[in-house]
Amino acid sequence: MNSIGETCNELKKQYDSCFHVWFSEKFLKGDTNDSMCAPMFKVYQQCVKKAMKEQHIEPKDIEINHLGTEEEKTPPRS
Amino acid sequence: MKIWTSEHIFNHPWETVTQAAWRKYPNPMNPAVIGTDVIDRKVVNGVLHTHRLVSSKWGFPKWAQALIGHASVCYASERSEVDPTNRQMVLKTRNLTFCNYIAVDETLRYMPDPRDAGKTLLTQEAVVTVQGVPLTHYMEDLLTSKISFNAGKGRQAMEWVIGKIELEVKDLANTAVKSTDELLFQTRRQLDDLTSKTRKSMDDLQHAAKKSFDEIHNLTTPPSSQSMPKL
Repeated sequence: MNSIGETCNELKKQYDSCFHVWFSEKFLKGDTNDSMCAPMFKVYQQCVKKAMKEQHIEPKDIEINHLGTEEEKTPPRS
Repeated sequence: MKIWTSEHIFNHPWETVTQAAWRKYPNPMNPAVIGTDVIDRKVVNGVLHTHRLVSSKWGFPKWAQALIGHASVCYASERSEVDPTNRQMVLKTRNLTFCNYIAVDETLRYMPDPRDAGKTLLTQEAVVTVQGVPLTHYMEDLLTSKISFNAGKGRQAMEWVIGKIELEVKDLANTAVKSTDELLFQTRRQLDDLTSKTRKSMDDLQHAAKKSFDEIHNLTTPPSSQSMPKL
């Protein structure tokens, strides 16, 4: 799957394939140490954050975590 | 506000379904989803928490665009938790675009089927809220029917991804088998080569030894009288 930033696609692909292996071979088998893909995640993250900024996607809107809060049950701001 | 719920059972174990859930996009059934980006991901107390930004192209009818504004690419925030100990995966998605008028909160839960642990139960819930625009109920109905339609496609997509994963595993096994065969074949050929080479060397050696022996024999045997030069 592609990234919002075209320049991040290759980094995302590398990270995704690492994550899929980690998820099935480590995480689901009880190993919760996530250092395996950490270096790839870091470079991919830097790229995505930059792409979001360029496309004016406000990180603050995304960062808000409504899960399990009262906010989750209330209708959106109008 | 409009609530839509649905249940579905996948004939695959929870582990297979959760792997497929991460690889759901891209798929031919949901071409609208054009990107997924991991914004944040961490393991807390054995539970994997992920925050993703999902980008999709939505086709709203023209009249709806006039009311809520036009956006070619829509963004949604997806938060998920995977608990491997209790075999639970929960994904909650909320749209970010049109946040001021429309809220679509979707929750997907994957858990083992209580009647058969080898199968996976998916429960899906969507809450649609439209506020501050005319034809609110009409818009809610429209979105709800769209969600219902998309849910079917989403389940087809999951089956499609699972099929792809199973094929990959089979391919991997085939490759492994092929490699083993190849290895055996190569080894046998090398052994054959070695044997024939050895045999050849042995023959050469024997031949050479015989020749040398004959030569030595010739040297030690006094020349026959016939070959003696006449004095």
